[in-house]
Amino acid sequence: MSIFLQACVNGLLMGGFYSLMGMGQNVIFGVMKIVNFCHGEMLMVGMYLTFLLSTNLGLDPYACVPLVAILMFLFGALIQHTLITPSLGTKSFTNLLFLTVGLGLLLSNGALVLFGSEYRTIPTSYAQTYIALGPVNLALPRLISFGVLIVISVALFAFLKYTTTGKQIRAVSQNPVGAEVVGINARRIYILTYGIGTALAGVAGSLLTGFYTIFPTAGASFGFRALIVVVVGGLGSIPGAFFAGIFLGVLETMVALFISPSYSDLIVFITFIVILVVRQLIIIRRK
Amino acid sequence: MNENVKAVRAYRRNLCIALGLILLVFVLIPVFVKSPYVLNVFVLVFYMSTLSMAWNLLGGMTGQNSLGHAAYMGLGAYASCLLITKAGANPWLSAVFGMVVVGLVAGVIFYPCFILRGPYFTLVSIAFGEAMRQFIINSTFFGRASGVGLPFGKDSWLDFRFMSKVPYYYVGLVMVILIYLLMKKIERSRMGYALRTIREDEDAAAAIGINPTKYKIMAVVVSAMVAALVGFFYASYIRYIDPDLMVQAKSTESVLPAVVGGAAYVEGPLVGGLIMIPLSEFLRARFSAMLPGINMLLYAVALLAVIRFRPTGILGWYMHSRFKRFVDEKLLRKPPVEVFEAVEMEKHRGKEA
Repeated sequence: MSIFLQACVNGLLMGGFYSLMGMGQNVIFGVMKIVNFCHGEMLMVGMYLTFLLSTNLGLDPYACVPLVAILMFLFGALIQHTLITPSLGTKSFTNLLFLTVGLGLLLSNGALVLFGSEYRTIPTSYAQTYIALGPVNLALPRLISFGVLIVISVALFAFLKYTTTGKQIRAVSQNPVGAEVVGINARRIYILTYGIGTALAGVAGSLLTGFYTIFPTAGASFGFRALIVVVVGGLGSIPGAFFAGIFLGVLETMVALFISPSYSDLIVFITFIVILVVRQLIIIRRK
Repeated sequence: MNENVKAVRAYRRNLCIALGLILLVFVLIPVFVKSPYVLNVFVLVFYMSTLSMAWNLLGGMTGQNSLGHAAYMGLGAYASCLLITKAGANPWLSAVFGMVVVGLVAGVIFYPCFILRGPYFTLVSIAFGEAMRQFIINSTFFGRASGVGLPFGKDSWLDFRFMSKVPYYYVGLVMVILIYLLMKKIERSRMGYALRTIREDEDAAAAIGINPTKYKIMAVVVSAMVAALVGFFYASYIRYIDPDLMVQAKSTESVLPAVVGGAAYVEGPLVGGLIMIPLSEFLRARFSAMLPGINMLLYAVALLAVIRFRPTGILGWYMHSRFKRFVDEKLLRKPPVEVFEAVEMEKHRGKEA
């Protein structure tokens, strides 16, 4: 029983990261209708940024989070402005797809060139601290990360729901032409959303460094799980993405516990295919 | 009128001579180039271009952006290798077996997936590829993560096994040419028109009586079978396969020649492959000892540059360039469009009379 509870909690804590990644992907996909295939690589960039900041400036990894968020926002905005916006005009889905795939290649191999393929960690004094909660042991870094994740998720939800800019973002995602008609600058919103999406991925990476190793392809599995979260949680739904991420994390640990850890990826992918197809069937039925 | 016919014939003859010369160059390369390294790069160009053509049938022509073609290639390689190692079958027969198995798998598994459109299809293709890879890693029958090796031995055509790279070069060349002719045939057939209509607008295609699911299944089956053939060729050439053959990055690599060359054209993957793969191999040989990853980095830069500045690929740019006009008018002596039309009209009139 205690193993089961422990697995549940670990899955929950990991699922938080899938949620955060999914939310970033969701914002980008919802507004521009493009799948950001370099989302995982953005997480990896966030990890290396945290690594650089904490080793060079001696900052605590968690103190780096706001800095990483700002830097990643600017990075995303720059990419949107120089690469994606011009290609949005061509309306070629293939090109947009491979633009982000190419960006992913560029970032992961850029990291390989700059930092080599070594696995790196950021040592902290509290890395091995556990908090006992009944039968369950909680690793302190995971717990802090999860707390920050929740705060960010709520903040993002509130931002999209209540601020003027958030409302503009939702307007563009529902109808870009209509939004332009009422005076919203869609290009500005695109830059903003890609920046926000990238910043969320970067923050997820930054939060991961407390207990995860840093290497050039660290983002790949998170990137794909973010896509699963978007599809399962529903397009444009922040709470949906949140719960889908948690579900995915718990599912993974349950498979690892009850079947075998090496099957967890297989089960995740098959579940994903089934959910995709069933979801589409339901949509067709409703029509 | 007769002059028009003559002009068209002369142009067709010139075109044949030009293509024949290009082919002759490729046939003669192993005669003059003895370096195994260079030959290896050419073999790589051949099978990657073929894989990219397989992708292009589904991605470029039908507009279904698959990112899981490495999985078909890997499955084809596994199916044929296992038949050789476990049942002692002849490699050529097992190649056919691999293609049939992969065609069936693709057709059956993708049947329900074809209700998915656009990005959702891409996602399912990635998930399918990864699921296949994970399945093989977890299956003892497939040799788990350690892979399958093909037996070594004396050179023989029957066993498709050679020490030298030259036979592989020629088989690879024949494979590229045959698959190119097949793709060209498909492009000009009823199926080709149906696929392109589906790419432009699936609902419109259905409205005018094209069954999108049927044609998409045909495209995915043919595409997967060609990828399986490439897998067999790869396995026979390298003589060892492992699940790393099917990683996501390989699927991406198989798409790059088509996108860089021009995904709207059947020749796109050939042009892209001929440029990108030697470039990548050169960068790998030159720089990867100093800076690992630099070759893929520059590869990615080239891809981004093409998409950003030449969205229709190298061929798309060439088709509207002054260089093409120069080649057509001065070298091949292509007559103006009116001449072609006149000749066609004449033909029809002849038929009616």
